[in-house]
Amino acid sequence: MRRRGRSPAGVLRIAVATAGIAVAGVLYGFPLYWLAVTSLKGKGELFASTVHLVPHDPTLAAYSSVLIDRGFWVLLKNSVIVCFSTVVITLVVGLIITYPITRLQVPVRLRVNVLTWALSLRFLPPIAVVIPYFAIVRTLQLYDQPIALIGIYSLFNLPFAIWMLKGFLAEIPIEIEDAALVDGANRWTAFWLVLLPLAAPGVLAAAIIVFTFAWSEFLFALILTATPNSQTFPVGVQGLVTQFEIIWNDMAASGVIAMSIPLILMVIGRRYIVAGLTFGVIREK
Amino acid sequence: MTDPRAQAASSAVRARRRRFSRQERLAYLILLPALGTVFVIVTIPFVLVLIQSFSADDGTLIGLRNYSRALGNPLLYEAIRATGVYTLIVLPIEFLLGLTFALLVHRTIKRTGIRAAIYVLAILPLVVPPVAIGVVARLIYAPSYGVLNVILERIGVIHQEIDFLGDPTLAMLSVASVDVWQWTPFVYLVLFSGLQTVPRESVEAAQIDGVTWWTQFIYIDLFYLRPLFLLLLFFRLADVLRVFDHVFILTGGGPGTATQLLSLYMYRVEFKFFDLGQAAALAVVVLVSLSLLYTLITRFLPLERE
Repeated sequence: MRRRGRSPAGVLRIAVATAGIAVAGVLYGFPLYWLAVTSLKGKGELFASTVHLVPHDPTLAAYSSVLIDRGFWVLLKNSVIVCFSTVVITLVVGLIITYPITRLQVPVRLRVNVLTWALSLRFLPPIAVVIPYFAIVRTLQLYDQPIALIGIYSLFNLPFAIWMLKGFLAEIPIEIEDAALVDGANRWTAFWLVLLPLAAPGVLAAAIIVFTFAWSEFLFALILTATPNSQTFPVGVQGLVTQFEIIWNDMAASGVIAMSIPLILMVIGRRYIVAGLTFGVIREK
Repeated sequence: MTDPRAQAASSAVRARRRRFSRQERLAYLILLPALGTVFVIVTIPFVLVLIQSFSADDGTLIGLRNYSRALGNPLLYEAIRATGVYTLIVLPIEFLLGLTFALLVHRTIKRTGIRAAIYVLAILPLVVPPVAIGVVARLIYAPSYGVLNVILERIGVIHQEIDFLGDPTLAMLSVASVDVWQWTPFVYLVLFSGLQTVPRESVEAAQIDGVTWWTQFIYIDLFYLRPLFLLLLFFRLADVLRVFDHVFILTGGGPGTATQLLSLYMYRVEFKFFDLGQAAALAVVVLVSLSLLYTLITRFLPLERE
C-alpha cells in the first residue's frame, strides 16, 4: 500500500470523508434502528404521551401478534413457496436459454438479439404489464392462486437470470467442456458434470438475487391475490399500514420480518449483486 | 486437386463447418422451444389488452373511444407532471450524492478492508423490500406518531407538529426522500466501480503536471465515467416509471393527487374505478411509447462489450 505524507489538504479531505460517512451512517442507521425499536414496543407504550427514543421495556409481543394472532406465518409460507419455485423455474429456463448462446458456435447476431430482447423485458413498467396479466389470470381462473405469481415472477426475473448466467458461463474456458466431449461424454453429461459444478457459485448468486426480487415484489401480489391462500408477505405488511387504526408496533415487526430475509441473503451473495442489477456491465471482482 | 495435403485440409475445413452447423442446429433445437414459450406467454396478454383497449365493458368494439377518454383525462396529465417532478427531484440528488461519495471514497480511502465494508453496506438498501421501506418512512413522517416531529421538537427547531404527508409539497419531498435513500447507494456503487477503471497512468501523468483535484476530476475521471452516466440514467429512468410500492404505502398518491405518479394513476383507473377500457388504452400507450424509447436508447448504450 502506498502512503503519501499527509498534506493539510489531505487531512481536510479525510476529515470531509469521515464526516460524510458519519452523516450517511446516521441517515441509514437511524431509520432502521427506529423500525427495530418500534417493533420491540409493547401495546401500552404505543399510547404513552412521551415517545422514547431508546428501547424501554422491550418485548417480542408484536412479533407473535403478527405471525400467530394475525396468522401471517401463512403468508410467510406462501412467500417462501412462491420464491423457491420462481428461483427453480427461472434458473432452469435461464440455463436453457444461456447455454446455447454461450457454449455453442452460434452467429453473433443470435446472441445479441436474445440478450437485447431479455434486456427489454426489464424496462416494462409492471403496472402497464399487470393490466393485461390481470385479464389473462382471471380468464384462466388462476386468480388468487400461487401458481399465477410463480409464473409471472419467473417471467420477469428471467432477464436478470439470463444476463448473469451468460456472464458466468462465458467465463469458463470452452476447452474444459471440449476435453470432456473428447473423452466420450455427451453434451448433457459434459454440461451436468463438468460445466454446472464450475458455474455453481454464479448460479447460486443468481438464485439469491432472483429470490430477493421475488420476495420484495408487491404490485403483482397485491393485484393477483385476495386471500391468505396465495397472499405473500408484503401484501400482509401493506394490510397493516392502511388499516383504519394503525398498530405501529405490529407494522414495524412485519417490516423487520420482510426486511431481514433479503438482507441476510444479500450478505451471502454480495459479490454479484451490482453485476446483476446492471446486467453485467459492472463486474465486481 | 490430387494433392493429398490440400484434400486433407479441405476435408478438415468441411468437417469443421459441418460440426459448427451441427452445433448451430443443436442451439436452435434448445432455444426455439424455450424462447417460443416465453414469447407466447409474453405476447398473449398484450394481444388481449389491445383488444380490450378497443372494446367497451360488454365486449363490443368501440374504436378509439377508450383512447380519447384516456388521453382526454386531465388526471393523466397531473400524473405525468407528478412523475416528472419526482424524477427531477430524485435523479439530480442521487447522481450528485452518489458521485460525491464515490469520489470521496475513491480518493481518500485506500484500505481495501474499509472499501469492502462500504461496498457491503451500500448494497443493503438495494435489497430491502420497498414495502418495508414504506413502513419505515411511515414511522418517520406520519402525523402524530412520526419520529421526525418528535426529534425536531426535542431539539427545539419546531414547536408545532409538521404535517409532512398532508401538505402537497412536503408529501412529494417525503416520497422522494425515500427514493433517494434507497437508490443513491446504487449510483455510488456503479460510479465507484467506474472510477476503478480510470487508468493509473493518466492520473499519474496529470499529477506530475501538477493539476488540481478539481481539474483531475473534470478532465480525467468524468471522461471515463461518461458512458456509465448514460447507463445509470437509462436504468434509473426505467426505475422511476416503475415506482409504486413505497408511494402506495406512504401516501397512497395523496394528499389529493399530489404524489399520484403515473403507475399509481394507472392502478387507480383499473382497480379503483374499474374502468378496464381506459386502463387498457393507457397500458397500450405507455408500452408503445416505452418500446420506442427503448429502441432509441439502446443504440447509445455500452451494453455489448465484446
